[in-house]
Amino acid sequence: MTKMLVIGALSALGLVAGCGGKKDPDGGGGGGASGAGGTSGTPASDKATLNASGATFQKPYQEVAIEAFTKANPKITINYGAGGSGKGRQDFADQVADFACTDAPYKDADLGKVKGGEFFYFPNVLGAITVSFNVAGVDKLNLSAPTIAKIFQREIKKWNDAAIAADNPGVTLPDADIVVAHRSDGSGTTENFTKYLDKASGGAWKLKSGSTVEWPADTQAGNGNSGVAQIVKSTKGAIGYVDLSDAKASGLKYASIKNQAGKFVDPTPEAVSASGDGIEVDAKLLFSALDAKGDVAYPITAQSWCMLYAKAKDPSKAAALKSYFRYMLTDGQKLLPEIDFAPIPKSLADKALAQLDKVQ
Amino acid sequence: MLDLRGKSDTADRAFRWIAIGAAGLVLLILGMIALSMGDRARPVIAEMGFDFFSSTRWSPPDTLYGALPFIWGTLYTALIALALAVPVSLGVALFITQVAPRWLKKPLIYMIDLVAVVPSVVFGLWGVLVLSQHFGLGRSFLTAGIILAVMITPIITSLAREVIETTPVAEKEAALALGATRWEMIRASVLPHSKGGLVGAVMLGLGRALGETIAAALVIGSALGQITPNPFAPGNSMPAVIANEWGEADDMHKSALIALAVTLFVITIVVNLIATAIVQRSMRKSRGKAT
Amino acid sequence: MSELRPALDLRRKRTWRSTKSTLMTVLMGAAVAVVLIPLVAVMWSVISRGAGVMLQSFPDFFTAEIPLVSRRPGPGMGPAIVGTLLATGGATLLAVPLGVLGAVYLHEYGAGSKFAGAVRFMTTVMTGVPSIVMGLFVYLMWTMRFGYSAFGGALALACLMLPVVISSTEQMLKLVPNNLREASYALGTTKSRTILTVVLPAALPGIVSGALLAIARAAGETAPLLFAVGAASTYNPHLFTEANTSLSLQIFSNATSSFVAAQDRAWGAALTLVMLTFALTLTARIFTARFALKR
Repeated sequence: MTKMLVIGALSALGLVAGCGGKKDPDGGGGGGASGAGGTSGTPASDKATLNASGATFQKPYQEVAIEAFTKANPKITINYGAGGSGKGRQDFADQVADFACTDAPYKDADLGKVKGGEFFYFPNVLGAITVSFNVAGVDKLNLSAPTIAKIFQREIKKWNDAAIAADNPGVTLPDADIVVAHRSDGSGTTENFTKYLDKASGGAWKLKSGSTVEWPADTQAGNGNSGVAQIVKSTKGAIGYVDLSDAKASGLKYASIKNQAGKFVDPTPEAVSASGDGIEVDAKLLFSALDAKGDVAYPITAQSWCMLYAKAKDPSKAAALKSYFRYMLTDGQKLLPEIDFAPIPKSLADKALAQLDKVQ
Repeated sequence: MLDLRGKSDTADRAFRWIAIGAAGLVLLILGMIALSMGDRARPVIAEMGFDFFSSTRWSPPDTLYGALPFIWGTLYTALIALALAVPVSLGVALFITQVAPRWLKKPLIYMIDLVAVVPSVVFGLWGVLVLSQHFGLGRSFLTAGIILAVMITPIITSLAREVIETTPVAEKEAALALGATRWEMIRASVLPHSKGGLVGAVMLGLGRALGETIAAALVIGSALGQITPNPFAPGNSMPAVIANEWGEADDMHKSALIALAVTLFVITIVVNLIATAIVQRSMRKSRGKAT
Repeated sequence: MSELRPALDLRRKRTWRSTKSTLMTVLMGAAVAVVLIPLVAVMWSVISRGAGVMLQSFPDFFTAEIPLVSRRPGPGMGPAIVGTLLATGGATLLAVPLGVLGAVYLHEYGAGSKFAGAVRFMTTVMTGVPSIVMGLFVYLMWTMRFGYSAFGGALALACLMLPVVISSTEQMLKLVPNNLREASYALGTTKSRTILTVVLPAALPGIVSGALLAIARAAGETAPLLFAVGAASTYNPHLFTEANTSLSLQIFSNATSSFVAAQDRAWGAALTLVMLTFALTLTARIFTARFALKR
């Protein structure tokens, strides 16, 4: 039977070769090819496989961007392992990944672990983190940061709690138990969500902020944004934080959140862009879009970066890496609204492109 | 045996050594597992001391690694699984050996063996998308226990069947001849005869339930720090934590997860060894009696 | 009341004792029903939800690449099928020859020796090692140095298969009658030739059957592959280099997805995997029934 298996594997290989052969190198007409003349850069002529790792928050963007880019550049394969921002930073530091994406920069203490020398942050997406819920009979919900903090700390345990009712006049809230869902993996979404609560809840949030926090024992966890979305979708009374793109595609309902101006704002790409308008960017292109000012700004707006070493560990991949990063910052940005993310402001994209020239 | 073949040639000796090497591989691999994992588990034990086993706080950002809730979850789900699987397995084993007509025996055995080859991830998929959602169980200790029960039932059943089949026919007939009903015959001859073997079979099932990872990881709920006897609460187990957290773990966190693996390894090995010893002893004893 | 009673009543009477016995028999039958419920329920879900996905895009489901955009409906488990075959095939090539050789030592050479006793004991120990522990072990030994590849998965699966192959092969070697060996020696054959040309061929069907069962189990394993194989979505026919994937890994990652399309692909992959393991098990049964030495 060993022979059988070998034959099976060999025939499978033949199949693969066949499929590869059929691929028309000029056939890729997708989003990437349209701008091939200028901004997508010349398709890298060498075969390259780029292994990337990192945030699930921007996984939807990586999926569509990789799809469009590899259609235009069929010789390049990109594997994006969405294991969370924490894993992305770890893999990048260990040089296991060619590039990595993260929703939060390295802490100063961890910078020493980065083994590949100088590296750059490239901001590439802005997106909303929704507070999604599954309550029978409730379609619209208004929530403020202190209330969200108390719900996720299990201080508010019923949906008809007075604190929730106060923000939702006219809504009949059921006398149902709240089930809290959060991430089981280290996550930039968790980090941004808890940073927001830390910043905006006026001291109500006590669990600190970080890519993992010490959640109360009687809460559930799911793997990735999609895993949390599944729990919320399938559990009555559930509430969880999920990026807008995944929440919308999963058919979840999500709350309007009270912003600094005191207005309840729905998470939409426009409200996210509004948050992006007022950001202050430092020399490393780091910034925070959380709890932004402005009447129409959605307060739980998160940002994400992809990271690249100044000198690629494998020089043969450098051209492909630069080409893909250029794509993400230019034509790729146009894909964002379709998947319910917002592009980064044009001025920021220009700074990032200028920074890309420093990469060899 | 008189060996007239003279000195064995080089090829013959080489083959012998290759065979010895292959057998020694088992020792080598186990030794390497113990060494490499023990070595990587040391930092967290040095940091946490005995608290690793007794603390309930597991918070990687604070370098706090208390594994007690996961040890609890592993044992508790395995016990739920046993409570569900043991009566059923015994019933099935008795049905096949004592009740079923000859034509039904083989198909039944085949069916139960089929359950044993369904991959655990498929049970997990069913558990998370069907059992937990459509039967209102949610992700909980109980859901994990049910899935584990389904998975260990074939193992316990087939071992129990083998043990029960060693009951000497003479003993059974003696009971029947004394006017015992079928159940009385089972209680008077079959069960006392197979008691040791059955305990062993149950413990082998327990060993399997303790180490099962994927199905548990999917349905147990991944709660942190949960120690409660409430079967409907979400919890976590040692293998599930390893599977879920390994990806983004830093060095100390990885060390803690490896320490969990070592703990799991030791518990399952001990359970399995006791089980094997019991099964072998009772099999030997019964074979001795039968002849 | 005053009628005559026969000294011995041979008619069956309903007593508490017989009722109890019937009751217990019914309970045993009920246990059989209970044990079949999950099998039927799981198979029903897998077939009803998997077959649709599979047939809707036949044969693309088996050949197309895994969609990058996981929320988008559409086929493709091709790379996962190749990955499963690579990892399982690699594990088979490693574990079966070594396992058979190990068993040959235990039964043909070492019988009764202390070393063989130790190996036999440790084989039992190794059978009980949880699969996730094997996964971590291979990560520490292989993946940390050489990165993700199907081979890492093959190594982990081989570690799980090895003890199973050893003990099932040893059982089969026990069934080979001694006079076969003696007849061979009588012809002046060396011991190694005897084993290779007489003993092993005689036990072959049983060995094959045992190996097939071990392969069937290995093909469905997830935990050992989790840390070693990686997460590719495109074809990677190379055993030793670059990230790969497998059916079981795809089921595991898609099972927690909130997208119907991804869940559908998980069911399709589950049906594929179940068919593969059942086919292996069935082949093993046929080998046992047709060719194996009878006890």
